[in-house]
Amino acid sequence: MGRIRVGKPHVKIDTPSHVRGIREGNAKRSMSRQIGHHKDHTADARRSTGIRPKKHDAILKIMPNLPPG
Amino acid sequence: MAVTERTREKRGAGEQLVEMAWDPITRIIGNLGIYTKIDFANRRVAECHATSSLFRGYSVFMKGKDPRDAGFITSRICGICGDNHTTCSVYAQNMAYGIKTPPLGEDIINLGEAAEYMFDHTIYQDNLCFVDFCEAMVKATNPSVLQRARRTDAPHAEIHGYRTIADIMEAYNPFEGEVYKNALRVSRVTREMFCKMEGRHVHPSTLYPGGVGTMPEPTLFTDYLSRLVSILDFVKKAVAMNDDVFDFFYEALPGYEEVGRRRVLLGCWGAWQNPDVCDYRYENMSRWGRAMHVTPGVVVDGELVTTDLVDINLGIRILLGSSYYEDWVNEEPFVTHDPLGNPVDIRHPWNQTTIPVPQKRDFEDKYSWVMSPRWFDKRTGELLALDTGGGPFARLYATALAGLVDTPYVKATGSSVRISLPRSEKLPETTLEWRIPKWSNAIERDRARAYFIAYSAAMSLYFLERAMGRMRAGDMKVFQDFEVPDEGIGCGFHEAVRGVLSHHLVIKDKKIANYHPYPPTPWNASPRDVHGVPGPYEDAVQDMPIFEENGPDDFKGVDIMRAVRSFDPCLPCGVHMYLGKGNVLKKLHSPTFGASHG
Repeated sequence: MGRIRVGKPHVKIDTPSHVRGIREGNAKRSMSRQIGHHKDHTADARRSTGIRPKKHDAILKIMPNLPPG
Repeated sequence: MAVTERTREKRGAGEQLVEMAWDPITRIIGNLGIYTKIDFANRRVAECHATSSLFRGYSVFMKGKDPRDAGFITSRICGICGDNHTTCSVYAQNMAYGIKTPPLGEDIINLGEAAEYMFDHTIYQDNLCFVDFCEAMVKATNPSVLQRARRTDAPHAEIHGYRTIADIMEAYNPFEGEVYKNALRVSRVTREMFCKMEGRHVHPSTLYPGGVGTMPEPTLFTDYLSRLVSILDFVKKAVAMNDDVFDFFYEALPGYEEVGRRRVLLGCWGAWQNPDVCDYRYENMSRWGRAMHVTPGVVVDGELVTTDLVDINLGIRILLGSSYYEDWVNEEPFVTHDPLGNPVDIRHPWNQTTIPVPQKRDFEDKYSWVMSPRWFDKRTGELLALDTGGGPFARLYATALAGLVDTPYVKATGSSVRISLPRSEKLPETTLEWRIPKWSNAIERDRARAYFIAYSAAMSLYFLERAMGRMRAGDMKVFQDFEVPDEGIGCGFHEAVRGVLSHHLVIKDKKIANYHPYPPTPWNASPRDVHGVPGPYEDAVQDMPIFEENGPDDFKGVDIMRAVRSFDPCLPCGVHMYLGKGNVLKKLHSPTFGASHG
């Protein structure tokens, strides 16, 4: 801050960021652990619901699997 | 229009200058004041200074933070286009982490940003900027022009439904006019479109480096589409009304093209990535920059100097001169060479260190918290005070000249941009054409805004088709994982609603070592630099003729306000004016950090 007098910070400057030991959403391989997401970038209804997900999947193989929100 | 500052000695002895100040023109990044000296005898503005009295310090307090937080923090720079900062920060982080957003994620970001342009330009144009052109204002400032407007038929009456120009002006009247009220409704709908894609307006909750958290599903896109189609009538009518009113001003007030006119010095950093080409690698930046759906470019005197983002990046220089900062030339540079091996200047944002020095405002010396960003033209060695033309003007200008955008809905021809909009509720399929105008002035900046709303609407249709095509093929990936590197650099180039936006990031020890966002307002509102070159607001207003019929006693300064507001200095909703008749009534100084730092 140049020649401006500033006080001592009460907290470390990166306080609101990551806490050690907690899994990070961006961490490598976190995508592969996402339920209902496939390696080929497709998804199935398990992405959206755990209740009878197969009932919500596409009924024919030629249809895109578009899980409900 | 003068590019360098005039000295007092050059002024005529008979000039009677009246000092006038508009401070604050509020809700911009900080606090804008326009201080002028007006020569009423010759009806022109003799001198103008643009000043900002608020220090933000993002570049100071970002240091040491986790880089993943950058998008969420920098979004708070602005209360109306914060998402542009998040997007730009995501671009810069993607480069630093060596990742790219999956194509469907990129489409979702593009759709969100398109909705933001439609929202922000509509609310600004019709609810704020057009107050200067409404019937009530014209009646108070140029009654003879209003008389003429009542007698002049609107050429596009069959599109918008207003018979005369005065009818359109009445529809612009704040709180009462039909267009004013409709614009509020449209800006609500476009905000809903934005929230579908980016979660929350204006600080997005679902935008991250590596992708988006928005759940792709058919209704996401159809909800957006139905809202988009519902506003198309308004967009088509807005362009027709804008053309009618602005053409009328040129006709009714000969010489009005000089209001807010300056040299054609425009910068556009490009918008809407093309996921088929963009890999966020600096080495390929020239290629994916040119594939953007608004072409980046620097335009000097009507000539397109470059469309290369690497050239644009390396040409940025942050100058001081009239700003309350200490120079950083003696500090350690962070980036000496870019990843292509090109040398990076010490005055480049990657190497900038912000050292604030609060002090009293003195128009002969330091008078603003805004620095003076300039672009180094390596052909001539000039440091150019580029402006953004309020955003749309530079975007359309650069895109038109480059001729690279070619989609089913928007096509750049080399001298114009053709925008095709499908049939909507009441109006048929329409093709609009924005042609490069003769001047860079207030009216052309305002006119471009209406066309860019149409441009955004048309591009949204294209992005929707692409996104739904990907989804039909089963591609649902919108996010990619990554690790924060120990060291890295990144830069993001985007268009905030009102113009160029860049974020420069340096990471050391997984923390931010340096972060510099450069939004449009520092470019537009910059004060005189160390070489005496005034910033764009100052340049556009200085030497400008005055067309207002009122004298000094009831002067509203509408022409000056039209010139400044044409640059879209965020939301100039509260304008206060002091009329001194040549005398300074009172000088106040409020030290930013308390009386002990005065």
